[in-house]
Parts: sequence; structure tokens; C-alpha cells
Amino acid sequence: MKKIFIVTIGLLLWGGSIFAQGSKPPKTQFMVRGYGHAGLDYIKTADGTDYSFVGAAFSPIFLFKQGKRFMFETELEFELQNNELEIGLEYANLMYVINKYLMIRGGKFLLPFGTFMERLHPAWINRLSSKPLGFGHDGIAPASDIGVELRGAAHIGGTAINYSVYVVNGPRLKDGSIEPDEAGMLNFQNYIDNNNNKFVGARVGYLPLYNSSLELGASFYTGKPGDKGSVYKDVTAFLWAVDFSFVKQISPIKGILDIKAQYNHTQLSDAYYPVGEEGRDSTDLYTFNNLSRAYYAQLSYRPSMASSSILKNIEIIGRYSQLNTPEGSEWESNVNEITIGLNYWITWRQVVKINYAFINSEGGHDAEDGTGKQKSNTLFVHWAIGL
Amino acid sequence: MKKLVLIFTLAISVTAIAITVSSCTAQREVSAQKSGAELWAQNCIRCHNIPSPPAYSDVQWETIGLHMKERANLTSEQIDKIVAFLQSAN
Ligand code: HEC
Repeated sequence: MKKIFIVTIGLLLWGGSIFAQGSKPPKTQFMVRGYGHAGLDYIKTADGTDYSFVGAAFSPIFLFKQGKRFMFETELEFELQNNELEIGLEYANLMYVINKYLMIRGGKFLLPFGTFMERLHPAWINRLSSKPLGFGHDGIAPASDIGVELRGAAHIGGTAINYSVYVVNGPRLKDGSIEPDEAGMLNFQNYIDNNNNKFVGARVGYLPLYNSSLELGASFYTGKPGDKGSVYKDVTAFLWAVDFSFVKQISPIKGILDIKAQYNHTQLSDAYYPVGEEGRDSTDLYTFNNLSRAYYAQLSYRPSMASSSILKNIEIIGRYSQLNTPEGSEWESNVNEITIGLNYWITWRQVVKINYAFINSEGGHDAEDGTGKQKSNTLFVHWAIGL
Repeated sequence: MKKLVLIFTLAISVTAIAITVSSCTAQREVSAQKSGAELWAQNCIRCHNIPSPPAYSDVQWETIGLHMKERANLTSEQIDKIVAFLQSAN
């Protein structure tokens, strides 16, 4: 498997060098971009402290453009996990510009469910070293999936609107047969479809101001995640999100103010899951209101108009994020996190981030007996670069 | 069944949007007055730091333009003007 990846990359690079030859702009354009990051995490809990070098992750992006309307984009993810090189396919999709207002995409693409995972998660874009609680590969909302999508944008007077509608395989409901303590969770990394029910979703974004500084967005994503033919086949999932973004250079404060926020709401219909470790064989069943919520709000400021060249490149960030998973489930937890950060931008795509996170949690996998309350603090020192 | 209703509703909404938009030709001229430089300054800062024109070659800006049109859901008017500006100023 890994060999195939390496050979493919080799071919892509070789192909790219051919396209790059010649003086006339070629019809087919090829670009390798991407990003990497590395860092040190220092975690302090009631049990003690722990510090380790993390990251060493590299995500190359390959772009092939054919003519003015057609493009193929793919991103691979190389990461060291437990001393093993893990290779992931973040996305790989074709896109075609149908007309001024519509573009079609097919393959594995980042889902426009809110904006964080589609637009803001790369290490050189995310102002902080971590993702907000409940966002990301094991969060409560989708990041990417396989299917087709129509997207586009248009002006309405001085304002702008953007829209996207998609149909994808959708997540799989964990029924507790393999991991009883995760019964009722959605597994979004479900790329081999487990049923014929497709998930549909959409997002509409609106930029009401003439200077495009403000964007308000609303998304939903729904379908049936249960295995075909199982007792869970009729369970429905309805997810929705709202997002907010305001970015503007403001002269009186001599810098760029950036505010971002997103709220995710994940509701599944009631279902009965087996009690205890026996999983599917257990005859005792339980149920709970399967509602999870996660949100974050982030504010950052960079004195971009300062006269000092050092001050100009400094940025301060504050973020609050919260995750609540279903009460009465085996994975019930309530976690919140306050993260503060100080970044130094070496170039527009290269940054050193020093972040400190205060995490308060109740319940969840790591809960101690007794109150179940935990506090932990983490210091992150990360370096991220976009290529 | 429900899903059909949903897909149908979505299709109608997309159509409605397209119609509204094409009937707004007069208003579209308002944003048509903005220059490529202005659109670049206002839009390319919304997710990441703003790249300056010399960062890439003309051919590379074409590819990035299409990539950003997709990623940021920018309008064709916006991205065409921005790419033209970046290519003229690099
Ligand atoms: C809605 C958010 C958003 C906006 C607005 C945006 N970008 Fe990006 N940009 C991204 C993301 C996300 C990436 C990383 C690409 C990826 O991960 O696929 C990126 C990557 C890039 C790159 C690196 C090369 C590449 O194509 O990956 C360049 C250059 C770039 N953007 C330029 C621009 C320019 C110029 C504009 C203004 C027209 C712009 N961006 C507006 C989100 C945005």
C-alpha cells in the first residue's frame, strides 16, 4: 500500500517536471504545495506531567489544472504514530467549472459543514496548535467524505452569497458490538459504505457587507448511519452547524482583527444499545438522548500596521471551546477548554505558535472515579510551514 | 421519501438563487466597480495571511486562483480580477 503511494508520488513529480518544461504556459498545470508541522507538547494533569515532541507531520498537496475549468486536487497526510508511518488520504477530488455560478466536485472532498474543517484546519492557517474540542477526525461532525457536490457563489448587489449541496456515503453508527463504550457514536471515517442510504448536506454562506469582511454560514447534514439490515437501519442522524467569520484590518487599532466561531449540533434518533462488555449478545438494553454539541469562538489580533517589524508579525489569540456528548451514554463527557496563544509569523505561511490550554473535563473515557472531574493544562510550542 | 423532499427543496433553492442572481444584473455592476487589488485585499485575508503578488508566477497564480475559487467559494468575477491583479503585480 505504502509502496503504491510512493510510486504514485514519484510519477506525479515526474509528470509535473514534464509539464513544467517549455516556455509557453502549458494547458496542463501542475503544482505541489502542502504543509508540515512539528512541535513540543507539555501536558500537566493531576497525575503528573508529560512532555513529548509531537507532529512531524507532512501533508503534500498536488494540484493538476487542465484548461481553465478542470482541476484535480489531492492531499496526502504522512504522520508518525506509535513509531509507524501512517499515510492518510485527506482528499482526492475532481472539479469542473460548469458556469459562472456552479462548479461540480466528485471524489473524496472536505465537507463544507461549517467552515473549520474545510477552510481553517491546516496547521499554517489554524491560529492555534490544536483543533477546537469536538472538531477533527474523531469529533462529532464530519470532515471529509466520498460523493458529489455542486458549489458556487454569486453577487446580490453589493453582498455575496455562496452555496454548496452534496450527497456522500455518510458516517457509520457504532452499535457497540466492537467497542461497547462507544455505542451510539458516529464514525465519520467510514469510507466503505455500510448501507445504501446516502447522506445529504448543504451550506449557505452570506457576506452581507460590501467589503466582504463578515460571513455568516448555516449548514446541515443528514441521513441514516445504521448498518444495512441491522436493528439500527432506521436510526436517523441530523446535524447542523452555524458559522461566523469577521476579518478586517482596522486603522484605529492599527491591526487585523479576526473573529471566528462555529457551533455544531449532532442529534441521532433514539435507539437501544446492549449493556456491558458482551456487546451484541447482551440481552439488556439501554437508551439515551443521543445529542452532542461542540462549539468554539476565537479572537485574534495582529498589529499589522505597527511600525516595528517585529511587532507587526506578532499575533495574540484567545479561544474558548466546549464539547458535550450525550448524557446517559457510555461516552458522556462535558469538556471545555480555554486556549491562549502568542504567534510569531516568519513569513505569510510560516509561524511559531506558543499556546497554553486550560482544559476542564467531566466524564469521558479518562474519567477518574469519584467526581469524574479533571483538570489539565497543556503548553504547545509548534512550528508550522506552508509550502 | 423524506430525503427526496430534501433533495427537491435543495434543487429548488439552488434554482431560485440562480434566478435571483441573474435578475440582479444591475446590482452586480456595483461590485464590478471594485478593482482586483481591492478584491485581493478584502478576500485573500479571510482565512490565512494575505499572499503578496511576487510569491508566485503567472502560471502558478492561475492554478491557485482556481483552487481558491473552489476552497473559498469566491465568485467568478472576484477570482478573475484577483488573478489578473496578482499577475500584473508580481
Ligand atoms: C475561505 C478561506 C480561504 C480564502 C478566502 C482564501 N484562501 Fe487561500 N487557502 C485556503 C486553504 C484552506 C488553503 C490550504 C489548501 C488546502 O489545504 O487544500 C489555502 C491555500 C492557499 C495557497 C497555497 C497554495 C494552494 O493553492 O494550496 C495560496 C497561494 C492561497 N491560498 C492564496 C489565496 C488567495 C490569493 C486568496 C484570495 C483570492 C485566498 N487564498 C483566499 C483558504 C482560503
